[in-house]
Amino acid sequence: MTDAEPKKFAFFPGCLIPVRYPQMEAAIRKTLPKLGVEIVDLPGFTCCPDPIYFKSYDKLAWLTVAARNLAVAEEAGLNLFTICSGCTATLSETYQQLNANKNLKEEVNQRLARVGKEYRGTSTVRHVATVIRDEVGVEAVAASVVRPLEDLRVAIHYGCHLLKPSHIMKVDDPDDPHILDDLVAALGATPVRHDEWILCCGKACKHEEAPSEMMYELLKSVAAAEADVLGVVCPSCFTEFDLGQLRLARQHDDESLKTPAVYYFQLLGLAQGLTLEEVGLHRHKVKAPALEKYAAAAV
Amino acid sequence: MSPKKNNEKKGRGPTVTLDFEFKKRLEKIVDGALVNYCYQCGACVGDCPSTRYVPEFNPREIMLKVLYGFAEELVGPASPVWYCTNCYNCYERCPQNVKPVEIIIAIKNLMARRGIYPEKAQVGDLVEMVLETGRTAPVTAMTKKLREELGLPPLEAVDTDELKKILE
Ligand code: SF4
Ligand code: SF4
Repeated sequence: MTDAEPKKFAFFPGCLIPVRYPQMEAAIRKTLPKLGVEIVDLPGFTCCPDPIYFKSYDKLAWLTVAARNLAVAEEAGLNLFTICSGCTATLSETYQQLNANKNLKEEVNQRLARVGKEYRGTSTVRHVATVIRDEVGVEAVAASVVRPLEDLRVAIHYGCHLLKPSHIMKVDDPDDPHILDDLVAALGATPVRHDEWILCCGKACKHEEAPSEMMYELLKSVAAAEADVLGVVCPSCFTEFDLGQLRLARQHDDESLKTPAVYYFQLLGLAQGLTLEEVGLHRHKVKAPALEKYAAAAV
Repeated sequence: MSPKKNNEKKGRGPTVTLDFEFKKRLEKIVDGALVNYCYQCGACVGDCPSTRYVPEFNPREIMLKVLYGFAEELVGPASPVWYCTNCYNCYERCPQNVKPVEIIIAIKNLMARRGIYPEKAQVGDLVEMVLETGRTAPVTAMTKKLREELGLPPLEAVDTDELKKILE
C-alpha cells in the first residue's frame, strides 16, 4: 500500500472520541497512514449531531445540522470517514434521506442558505472500519502487522448503528456480519462470536432496570466465550461496557464480568508495533493484562 | 388506556379518548406518515431488545395506538417511547417499511415540541450543550492532559454561530 497514491478522506472526529477518549483518535491517526490512508482535517465541523437525543428533539433540525457537516466536506471535494457508529448513523442517514427526497433536501437547504451553505449530496460517508475493508483491504491490513496478536481472543461487539438500517449503511449482513471478524483475524487474533452478540448495549433505553439487565446478559455471554478483550468500534458502546462492567461486577460480586473493552484501532496499533501508551490502553479503567505480552514483544 | 368512568352508570361501559389529529401531526414529521402502512403483523416485536426486558414496551402496539389515536398514552407521562434502545432491529424486520423506530422518534419529536419530554430522556440538556459548545461532551482539563500525552493537537472551540442560525 505504501507505494500507491494515498487515499484521501476528510476526517470527521465527532465529539465523544476527541473529548473523552482521545486514545481512540490517536490510534486512528497512528494506524491509517500505515495503510495508505491520508487523513485530512477540515475546520468547521460540529457535533454530527447525535442520533439518539438530538434526533429525538427534532428530526428536521437533526438533518439540517448533519447536512451542514456534510456540506463542509463537499466544499473540500472529499468523501468523509467517521470513527464512531453514532456519527456514521447520523451522516449516512442524512445522506440517504436528502438524496432520496427532493422536498426534504430543499427544506434543509433553505435553512443552510442562511449561512451561505448548500447540501449537494456529493460526499459519501463511511465508518473507518468499512474504509479499511473496502479501500485498503483485509490483506493489506494483515501486511501492516509486525506483531501478530496470536492467541488473543477478541469477542466482537458490532453494536447497532454500524450495520443498521442495512440498506442505508451498506456495510454487511446485520444478521451475520463478518467485517469486524475479518479485521480482527487480520491482526493474527481470534475473533469470537458470543451468544448474545446481537444484543444492544442498551444506552438509549431510559428504563430503570432494563439497560442494566441487557448489559448483564451481554457481559455473561462475553465471559462464557472466554474472550480476553471485547472489541468495539463505537465510543458509546465503549462507555456502556467500561462503566457497566465495573458496576455489574461489583453488584454481582463477579469479577469474571470484566472483559476489557478495546477500540479495534487500538488493537491494530498494537499489532503494528505501537506501545500500550501510544494507543492509550494504559489509561483504561478496566485493564487488559492479556495485551501486555504483545506490547513487550520485540517488533 | 385511561378509561373514563363517567358513562358506566348509564351502562355503556368505559370510554377512551381518541385524538384523530394526533396521527396527522405525526405525519408531518419526517417518516411519520409511514405508520399508515402498518398491518399489525408483529414482525417488529420478536427481536426488539426492549420488549425482551420491558414487556409493556411493544413496537407493534405503539403503531396501533398511533393509528387509533390513543395520543395520551403515547405522549403522556407514562409514555413507553423512551424505553426504545434505537437498535433498528424493527426497521430491518418490518415487511411494510414502516420504520417503527422512526415513528417512535417522531412521537418523541411531538413531545419535545410541547416541551414535555421527561428529564430522564436527557434530550433538553444535550441539545442545549450542542447549541452552546457545538459538542455533546465538555472539553475538560482531563481532555487536554490526555491529548497532550498522546501527542494530539489541542481541541479548538467550535464556532456555533452557523449552528444557531440554521436552527432558528
Ligand atoms: S413489522 Fe411493520 S407492519 Fe408489522 S406490526 Fe411492526 S410496524 Fe406494523
Ligand atoms: S429500535 Fe426500539 S422498537 Fe425497534 S427493535 Fe429496537 S428497541 Fe425495539
